[in-house]
Amino acid sequence: MVPITAYIVTRLPRRSFLAAVGSSALSGCINSGSGGKEFTEPLELPAADEQLPLPTAADTLTEEARSGGPPKDGIPSIDEPSFLNPESVDFLDPGDPVFGVTLDGVTKAYPQKILVSHEIVNDSFGGTPVSVTYCPLTGTAQGFYRGNTEFGVSGRLINANLVMYDRTTETWWPQILATAIPGPWNEAPEIRSLQEFRLIWTTWEAWRDQHPDTQLLSTDTGHAENYSRDPYGSYNPRGGYYDSQNMLFPGRVDDDRFHPKRVVIGTRTVDSAVAFDENTLREAQVMAGKLGETPVVAVYDDRYDTGYVYQNSDEQAVRKEGGRIAVDGETYMPDTLPLARILAFDAMWFAWVGYYPATTIYA
Amino acid sequence: MPNPRLTRVRDTLGRTRATIGVTLSRRDGQLIFGLVTMAYLIGYLWTIGQLAVGLGGFGITLVADPLLVLGQSEGAFSYRPVARIALGQVTYLASLNTLIGGGVAALVGLNLSMSYLAWRHPAACGIRQSSSGVIAGLPALLSGTACCGPVVLLAVGIQASSTLLAVFQFLLPLAVVLLLGSLVLVGRHLPVDRR
Repeated sequence: MVPITAYIVTRLPRRSFLAAVGSSALSGCINSGSGGKEFTEPLELPAADEQLPLPTAADTLTEEARSGGPPKDGIPSIDEPSFLNPESVDFLDPGDPVFGVTLDGVTKAYPQKILVSHEIVNDSFGGTPVSVTYCPLTGTAQGFYRGNTEFGVSGRLINANLVMYDRTTETWWPQILATAIPGPWNEAPEIRSLQEFRLIWTTWEAWRDQHPDTQLLSTDTGHAENYSRDPYGSYNPRGGYYDSQNMLFPGRVDDDRFHPKRVVIGTRTVDSAVAFDENTLREAQVMAGKLGETPVVAVYDDRYDTGYVYQNSDEQAVRKEGGRIAVDGETYMPDTLPLARILAFDAMWFAWVGYYPATTIYA
Repeated sequence: MPNPRLTRVRDTLGRTRATIGVTLSRRDGQLIFGLVTMAYLIGYLWTIGQLAVGLGGFGITLVADPLLVLGQSEGAFSYRPVARIALGQVTYLASLNTLIGGGVAALVGLNLSMSYLAWRHPAACGIRQSSSGVIAGLPALLSGTACCGPVVLLAVGIQASSTLLAVFQFLLPLAVVLLLGSLVLVGRHLPVDRR
């Protein structure tokens, strides 16, 4: 963004203005989301060691893609984000949701009310390029390492979920699946999964209290948007699409065991998936379950009102003790148990069961 | 030898132009036209979210390359904003949508001002009464649904199918066609004394 005065000084003569408007309107092929950047280098994308599961053949998923309304990059990613210190933030209420993360010693938070208009932020942490992504229709916030490319919004939905594309090979990457599938712009991509990192879905108040040194994504995004307006509804308090039984776009499967928008904390590995109902976890604090044949344990973290999932292969005793979690007699903070943590994230139930129909659910 | 069909079209368009001219030359016609056009434009911008409650404060911010962004589509007949204008509690996003909405609003304004005059002053200023004038109001009501997008479906519990999305894409041009057709219809059925 530039101040209006700066623009007035450099404005074009009227004839040039009209010519430029005409050519822009007619061309219709501007890569709007990338800010004019070109990605001509071969794609170097940090891939996961093993491909994550797909619910059906990749080609079939491609056929399930439908238009969400906007065209490619019609929902523009933020490619040059800027950040604020907490004391400068005056546009968030304490209860407004943010997606927080600490990577390479840098702590940042991304307000849901900004991401609902952009869905992807191409950012970096200590020089490591990452994409912070959010799909409002499925309630999923996921972080990805993006190597030497950027991700953009394809405008297509599968399972009502954001389908991203990379700007080097134009391969489709459904967000929740985090795995390449063929698409019209790249019909034979290498099928592999992205490396992910956890974004904590919490409130601005909770995140700021835990991380007073955090940076917060600024509304100065390079785009002219109204960041007080969420076209789908509201999270503070919850309302509209986020709370309604009604769907804008259908999920992949019909499953009426729970409210479709009920929030679960899900995790998946190569051959299985498990989800824990967030409300139940909040009450129980600790829940044991199985991911395939592997015992796992979910623990609640009241600092952020979120949960984590750990492998518990030796089925050690895990229980809540005061504000901490006890594992075999020693106590730890919920996010630092001496067990192998598995990446998990919040998702609406319909979205999770749509992509992982064989999931185990603990509720 | 003049083509009779062409002559009829010319005559119809001439009558429409004359009716518009008479309507806009009257003070009450101007008032109705202005009020309806402004109200419809505000309603249009509100329903597409480009005039809405904002984060507060006052100021104007412009995207770095407004000429590039101006023509970038964010959907059917919908364009990306180039400026955010904060007016206290209300925020206005400036884009080509304002021009599109302004055009539709002007057509609605013309239709309703002509209908109003036909109803209120049937014999005044050369516009004689005709029941057809009321028809002009109908496309305006229909075009009001042209700007709401699929989110409106949530309220009525309908999922957005490919067919429905395609229908939504055509509502705006359909409204324009109907409004233009309505103007011509009114022009043809409301004879104007060209004195």
